[in-house]
Amino acid sequence: MPPKRKHVTKSKYTADRQIPGAFEGETITRRRFMTGGAHLGGAVATMAIVLPAAGFAFGPVFEKVDQPWNPVGPPDDFPDDTYVPAVVTLINDIGQGGKTTVYLRKRNPEIDTEPADEYNQWIALSTRCMHLGCPVRFVEASGRFICPCHGGVYGFRGEVTGGPPVRPLDRFYTRLKNGQVEVGPRYSVNSELDRFSPRDPGEPLDGVGQYLYPSRPTIRKGPNQ
Amino acid sequence: MNHRQKEEYLREYSILKNQGKPFWPYAVAKDGAMAAVVIGSIILMSIVLGAELGPKADGTTTTYVPRPEWYFFFLFELLRIIKPPELVPLATIGIPTICMILLFLLPFYDRGPERRPEKRPIATTAGIFTIVAMGYLTYLGAAAGSPNEIEMEPPPSVVAQGEQMVEQFESGKQVVAQAGCLACHKIGENGNDGPGPHLDDIGARVGRDAIARTMVNPTAPMPSYAQLQEENPERFNNLVAFLSQLKGEEEE
Amino acid sequence: MPKLKLPAPPVPPAFKPKPRRPDEHQHTAIDHAKEGGIGAIGWVDERMGASGFGRWLMFRKVPKGTNWFYTLGSATMFAFLNQAITGVFLAMYYDPNAINAYESVRYISNEAFLGEFVRGMHKWGSSVMVILIFLHMARTFFFGAYKYPRELNWVIGVALLILTMAMSFTGYLLPFDQRSYWATVVGVNINGTGPLVGPYLSDFLRAGPDFTATTLSRFYAIHMMLIPGAIAALIGAHLYLVTKHGTTAPPWMKAETDPDLRTEKE
Repeated sequence: MPPKRKHVTKSKYTADRQIPGAFEGETITRRRFMTGGAHLGGAVATMAIVLPAAGFAFGPVFEKVDQPWNPVGPPDDFPDDTYVPAVVTLINDIGQGGKTTVYLRKRNPEIDTEPADEYNQWIALSTRCMHLGCPVRFVEASGRFICPCHGGVYGFRGEVTGGPPVRPLDRFYTRLKNGQVEVGPRYSVNSELDRFSPRDPGEPLDGVGQYLYPSRPTIRKGPNQ
Repeated sequence: MNHRQKEEYLREYSILKNQGKPFWPYAVAKDGAMAAVVIGSIILMSIVLGAELGPKADGTTTTYVPRPEWYFFFLFELLRIIKPPELVPLATIGIPTICMILLFLLPFYDRGPERRPEKRPIATTAGIFTIVAMGYLTYLGAAAGSPNEIEMEPPPSVVAQGEQMVEQFESGKQVVAQAGCLACHKIGENGNDGPGPHLDDIGARVGRDAIARTMVNPTAPMPSYAQLQEENPERFNNLVAFLSQLKGEEEE
Repeated sequence: MPKLKLPAPPVPPAFKPKPRRPDEHQHTAIDHAKEGGIGAIGWVDERMGASGFGRWLMFRKVPKGTNWFYTLGSATMFAFLNQAITGVFLAMYYDPNAINAYESVRYISNEAFLGEFVRGMHKWGSSVMVILIFLHMARTFFFGAYKYPRELNWVIGVALLILTMAMSFTGYLLPFDQRSYWATVVGVNINGTGPLVGPYLSDFLRAGPDFTATTLSRFYAIHMMLIPGAIAALIGAHLYLVTKHGTTAPPWMKAETDPDLRTEKE
């Protein structure tokens, strides 16, 4: 039977714990030190690869994106009782994939009760369904916007009248410059048609929605910045 | 499974395994035959069905009707069925995430020792139910047409009324399709289930004049078609004629 | 006439021809060539020691009652291999940028030799793989094959299912036709409806607030490298566990043991 080892209670000095070759004042065994060092070295090497790669991949999330103002035609082109489609470019140089159609009409004070300013003299509605982004179409006969995917229906001002969309159709800032109506950055609206920085489809803005679905930090800006 | 059941299973399994055949070449031959069938059917599908390429991607379209690949039809249909906007995150993220977690954790909450499907009624029923539900949703998703088209043959009662009536029925159908009625109403297999009522038998329930009156002076949120009546009375009449001929005969 | 048998002359033992030993007859070139394959494998195995692994993998037993249902897993793997091989060859012609992608796919379909055939195999192979993975999963579920000791293999299998669905989602954009584009818009927005992280996730997938110039190459990299690598690694783990625990016997199989063993003997 081996002699019962005398259990030295938790001295923090290795020398007190009778570890061979321990130095005076040493509190950590060499094996332990090397284990920690191996972990640390591995972690540093892994991070050195992962962090730059992740930053590279996630970088565009925080990148500032400028949206140009697109001239779409003289003011007379747009009546105030129906919508006229116009194509605007969101992202340059990628062809049709970077463009979208907006529905434009002149502001009609009898219908449009939201406060007027210099950016909504023409009402420009996005054609992205606010359920999940399918292309909605304005149907003249019924004065509705109809989504072909999951049954969303919007009224004349873009407000939801049926189906699953979570908020009214997004809008674009508009202005008059050099005799042309120009369509600028997109913004989102809640069911009261209050303005919010642009969100993706499927993200409600009523109640706590605007906090649950934050917008991109770099596009929280008005039309004139 | 407790320790004894685990031991019993392992013992039973090792006996069965010893009574079995070697993997090579018996099981490998079967696997190889199956692989040949699989690759063969892929080749056959490729030759027969080809690889269709649609029109080029276009962000400006307002007429395209997006549909997913068939194996996402169940999710697509789920999104169509769940209508209230407050429940949208439930349909998009909630239900799929819950299903995935349940699937991941299956061996951790179903720990009984029994393996025969007929002795595991709950698991077997749940499995069959899931398969049937997904199959049914897939079928519904595949059958969901565009809200701008109606696929419907003129019913026999219309055909019996002569060629002129059939023509009116067809052009009225066109108007209904273009006017977007199907966004809120369902006619046969076409259109959305709500918020408006089904129109399958509207002609049997409501008279022709009443339909016309409702079209001009509807209850909200249905839009008024008074403008259509003023500007294009013929189209409006065709529309009303089409609706009044819907008598719910198709189901019989 | 009886054969005259002369006694052999006495020869000292050192000059007697030795009886041929079993491994001593390969002196001709043909003999060497015949043994060449074995020799090469032997040479490699001497340095790698892989034959033990091969025996472990191939010369195990599968339990009694193993039937055609048990081929679904390997069939799924072959469908994946089909995807991997056709995918590599499609990548030789494909150009992942928003302006040329559609043209390059059109070129593959219409002009490249056997292009439509290979693209068709890739396209329909994905459907076949999804069907097989569901069938394989149904077999595992109804046979109770996810139970002890194979729980971890089920978890890996579910991860493979999700990765396969992610493959079909990312691959769907690549032809860049209308179907691709809008399915991707909807798919990305579905991700975006997750509270708090959703908006950032969809920005990450698109590399920006809208469909941007690098969205396509991002999907391409994910489809072509990230997920296939993960799938291949997980298939390896899946196969390792299958071999380690063995494939299950059908649940109705009972081991036949001698009933005498259960009765007590005096």
